[in-house]
Amino acid sequence: MQQELGQRSGWKEVRENWLNTRQRDLGMWAFALNRATGLLLVIYLVVHLAVLSQLAAGPAGYDRFISLMKSPFFLAFDIGLIAVLLYHALNGLRVTLVMLGIGVIQHRLMFWAAMVVSLLALILSTYLIFAT
Amino acid sequence: MEQGTRLEKQGHSLLWILQASSGVLLVILVFLHMIAHHFTAGKLLTYEDVVAYLSNPVVLALETLFLITVTFHALAGVRSVVLDLGLNDDQDRRLTRVLWIAGTLMVIYGIGLTLYITA
Repeated sequence: MQQELGQRSGWKEVRENWLNTRQRDLGMWAFALNRATGLLLVIYLVVHLAVLSQLAAGPAGYDRFISLMKSPFFLAFDIGLIAVLLYHALNGLRVTLVMLGIGVIQHRLMFWAAMVVSLLALILSTYLIFAT
Repeated sequence: MEQGTRLEKQGHSLLWILQASSGVLLVILVFLHMIAHHFTAGKLLTYEDVVAYLSNPVVLALETLFLITVTFHALAGVRSVVLDLGLNDDQDRRLTRVLWIAGTLMVIYGIGLTLYITA
């Protein structure tokens, strides 16, 4: 039964649930985007851990790493990363509250409130990144 | 069969609770991490600053907790996404085993690197 289910699902499931843009409500978009941002953050986590190995090379390795991170490309990348992080974190909190039965009726309002807070935090983060 | 299904459901709910609570904890830990490492009052940290910061036992404990929590949350999330592809029990067990090994290696690597640079 499980085997059969596994064969019937797979990519068909992905196509129907993830890539189907028809008849999608806000909650489904938020869910799909939460998973997509989560996957991006997993890739970033692995790369971040690998790049931190530069620290083992001592001050010279660290300084090389920092001068690379100060380039406009990586500063822009940081802002994109923070945007992804803010969306995943605040939408994740919203999903957790809804799953606990808190704000079920107001879940759309909570989504937009989370987006406004994300945007404000992103503006503040952008200022702090360029100020540093 | 019913027993198995019930236990499976309990396991899935426990995993969901752990996923959600690690997410909430991460919001706090990521905030602390960003303030300490990245938004550093107008100046970038030097290598010596980083080593001195990580040599503080409280910081080391918090960074270790951060590493374990983020690794668990990330890999449990990957498992949920892959399970949506419709894996059978055997594939699920193999995937879980691979993710446990990957997570353990990531945590050992992170702690090892931290201890190496602060030694």
